[in-house]
Amino acid sequence: MSDGQQWIAAWQPMVEAVGTQFDPGPHEFTADVIEASAVRRYLEPLEFDCALHADRGAAMTVGHPDIVVPTSAIPTFAMPPMWQPGGTLFDTAERNAQPAKTPISGVRTGLEPPTTGFFATNYDVDYLRPVYVGDRLLRRGARLVACLPKETKVGRGAFLTWESEIVNQRLEVVVRLQTTYFRYNPHSRSAT
Amino acid sequence: MKQRYWNEVSVGDEIEAVEFPLTVYRLVMAAGANRDFNAIHHNAEVARASGAPDIYANTLLLQGMWERAVRQFIGLAGVIVRQSGFQMRIFNCPGDTVTVRGRVQKAWRESPNDVIGFIEIEVWSENAKGISVGPGRVRVTLPLRPPLTE
Repeated sequence: MSDGQQWIAAWQPMVEAVGTQFDPGPHEFTADVIEASAVRRYLEPLEFDCALHADRGAAMTVGHPDIVVPTSAIPTFAMPPMWQPGGTLFDTAERNAQPAKTPISGVRTGLEPPTTGFFATNYDVDYLRPVYVGDRLLRRGARLVACLPKETKVGRGAFLTWESEIVNQRLEVVVRLQTTYFRYNPHSRSAT
Repeated sequence: MKQRYWNEVSVGDEIEAVEFPLTVYRLVMAAGANRDFNAIHHNAEVARASGAPDIYANTLLLQGMWERAVRQFIGLAGVIVRQSGFQMRIFNCPGDTVTVRGRVQKAWRESPNDVIGFIEIEVWSENAKGISVGPGRVRVTLPLRPPLTE
């Protein structure tokens, strides 16, 4: 088998796993309820001037009980904490070392070949219910929907599409989403 | 922010373009705010080693740009119910400006008795190299303007 085929063949176990649910649980709610200050900080880099997301009174005039969390921020407020008491994130002073653990490294199944690169590419989201300041969220589910090996400008890898949902403290589903990540090994010229 | 009503919107209407000049400072602020601390979004050495030309805007920030542009068009009483076709095509790096544009693609009501109507807006982001995200679609509901009474 040529090198051109070997890297594609390495993804075959993932291709065969399409349809599998890789999230066995148990699930835990995020560390904190959503606070107005965190929503305000989310708006800052966007210069997003909208009373719905900053002013409880304004939100109530259009039928909401409290400040509305921007839809694009819902995944942020469903992320597990970066660090928890008793843990160690930073165990080396190497300049570009990554933390020992991060909630944004995506799903790892053990079936995929080793890769060093990773970024999100696609989002398809149904917003089923508003999320408000004071809510507490939980993300659950990791069903593999697609695995497409591909060589792109940045490297060889695969586009992996995952299906999950986010629920609030009343276990109401607020969001259903499909997220695609490209996991890859950069071309050697990229490292220069 | 102006409230837009469903019966005021026509297929083909364009939403106001919104520009987002990208700087390292802005991307670092965004990483702190949306919690995407993947080093490719704030560390140029890591980003270049991964094949990117520089650090680049994360998808949460880019989705927030779409939301701001759509929200400015629909007003406070509009409700965003679906986003589809959001696809990052090329990197959005510091030194460039991302411009979000959109156009109403569909408008419909599910029942003549409903007090809301649906519209679907085609949305995309552009930078100096062309379309960098999308085109995708954002579906929203808008209230109907009540009939005038004497």
